[in-house]
Amino acid sequence: MAKLLEIREQIKSVYSRLEWILIPVGKLILAGIVLMVLNNRMGYMIRIDNGMIVLLAALMCAFLPTGAILLFATLFAMLHLYALSLEVAVLGLVVFLLIYLLYLRFAPGESLVVVGTALLCAWKMPYMVPIVMGLVGSAASAVSVACGVLAFGFLDIVTDNATNISTMADEETLVKLRMVVDALLANRQMMALALIFAATTIVVYLIRRLSIEHAWTIAIVAGLIFDMVMLLVADLFYDLELSFLNIFLVSLLSFVVAMVLQFFRFCVDYGRTERVQFEDDEYYYYVKAIPKMMMPQSSRTVKRINQTRHGAMVTGRVGRRGSVEEETGTEEDYEEFHQEFARRNSGRSASVLDDDGGFGFESFEDVRPAGSRYRSASGSGRTRYAGMDDDYTSRPEGRDADDAGDGDGAGDYEELF
Amino acid sequence: MLNEERIALMTRMASYEAGEGKRNMQIGRFFRGDYVAIQVLKSFVSATISFLMIFAIYVYYNLESFMEELYEIDLLAFARDILTKYAWFVGVYIVIAYIVCTVKYAHSRRNLHAYYNNLKKLGHMYQK
Repeated sequence: MAKLLEIREQIKSVYSRLEWILIPVGKLILAGIVLMVLNNRMGYMIRIDNGMIVLLAALMCAFLPTGAILLFATLFAMLHLYALSLEVAVLGLVVFLLIYLLYLRFAPGESLVVVGTALLCAWKMPYMVPIVMGLVGSAASAVSVACGVLAFGFLDIVTDNATNISTMADEETLVKLRMVVDALLANRQMMALALIFAATTIVVYLIRRLSIEHAWTIAIVAGLIFDMVMLLVADLFYDLELSFLNIFLVSLLSFVVAMVLQFFRFCVDYGRTERVQFEDDEYYYYVKAIPKMMMPQSSRTVKRINQTRHGAMVTGRVGRRGSVEEETGTEEDYEEFHQEFARRNSGRSASVLDDDGGFGFESFEDVRPAGSRYRSASGSGRTRYAGMDDDYTSRPEGRDADDAGDGDGAGDYEELF
Repeated sequence: MLNEERIALMTRMASYEAGEGKRNMQIGRFFRGDYVAIQVLKSFVSATISFLMIFAIYVYYNLESFMEELYEIDLLAFARDILTKYAWFVGVYIVIAYIVCTVKYAHSRRNLHAYYNNLKKLGHMYQK
């Protein structure tokens, strides 16, 4: 567990350091996938079924707000629908406008959920969405999930009826419209999935917010069971033709994904739960505090060993978190360290000294053999390691060893840290 | 000399200002009544447009029967029926919008209150 926690901290650290590039790249990839899936499934307009156009649109999405992905996906879908039939395009416009006007206007941040749900529906993995959104979203996410299912359902119906629509004459506008509307209203699978997913999202959300131990795990398991039972019941009553093997496998995958999510978002140590009780003028407080599982990340510090202004060489131990240690050791120990150090700095023999006359390297603990010791010899105007070549402790020309300000290398050693 | 507590506070505040704070500040510029009224008005327009679109699709879908029964149906009763449905649709939507906006406003004010407290705290830190 400790190793996992350490890895988590490392991942978080990397993410926070590279967030500026990871987010645009993530948006680029998501937009690219969404647009490619749309092109593959629909592809009625040849002109936009083109890798360069997809790439261009995805690039724009990468630098625009997240809502741009939904906007571009809608635009692509509308163009394909228009190429298929004007009536279907008008109907599509009405469906998308209704989703925007009635819901997304209030929750613009949820546009990604709508896109994600539709995408996972296309990949036949929509059962994952309500569990994940119940854990990381809010109660409103239930509507987003339902909207995603409805949007996908509409496009799926059009795709299924595309051959019939395209063979009809242009004058049969009413027939085309009726065909799609009838199919939309008769699509019980879509309606059932939208309702069940919305209900599952709310169930997971409500349970994970309860003040009980292992609330997240209980929410995940309860959500999966609720989801599967409801789908089974709906299939029995309405004959939805669902594949239960697929549902079971995706539910297992959802469990894994949800547990990973829990590890990153809600990893607490119930064993160290504290209950405190106190009062102020107006209230009594009964507080339950559960500490998060944390593993301090081992950090490497890079310190430079520079000459002082007065020319004396000042060295110090470079270690984790900048701790200072004065150590003594044997010549053999140092030889080992020295070889390792020289190996790591191969090609820098003379250039170990940088422009400032100092040199920098990663933690001594990395280059120094375990248990080795080194000695700081001071008082001669320069501090040097026992056995160290003069190359590494050279003084500036024209400077005497005792020109180190106070002529005390050891003192400077202390000052540095 | 760096003051870690001050830096942590400023970082937290900057993060809030860049994200949720931006939206909250826009909401916080209004009085509660004004904000809710504007949002309800917008919701009314949205609901009306939505209803009109649905009605247009409904009419187009039933165009043939409408044309056949145009002289037989009671247009007044039909209009009353449609207006009743419109009133229900818009009414329910506006009630939901009112609740959502009220909750949103309260949430924003609470967050802004905490933000301004932090701002004061930061001011005191600088005075020390």
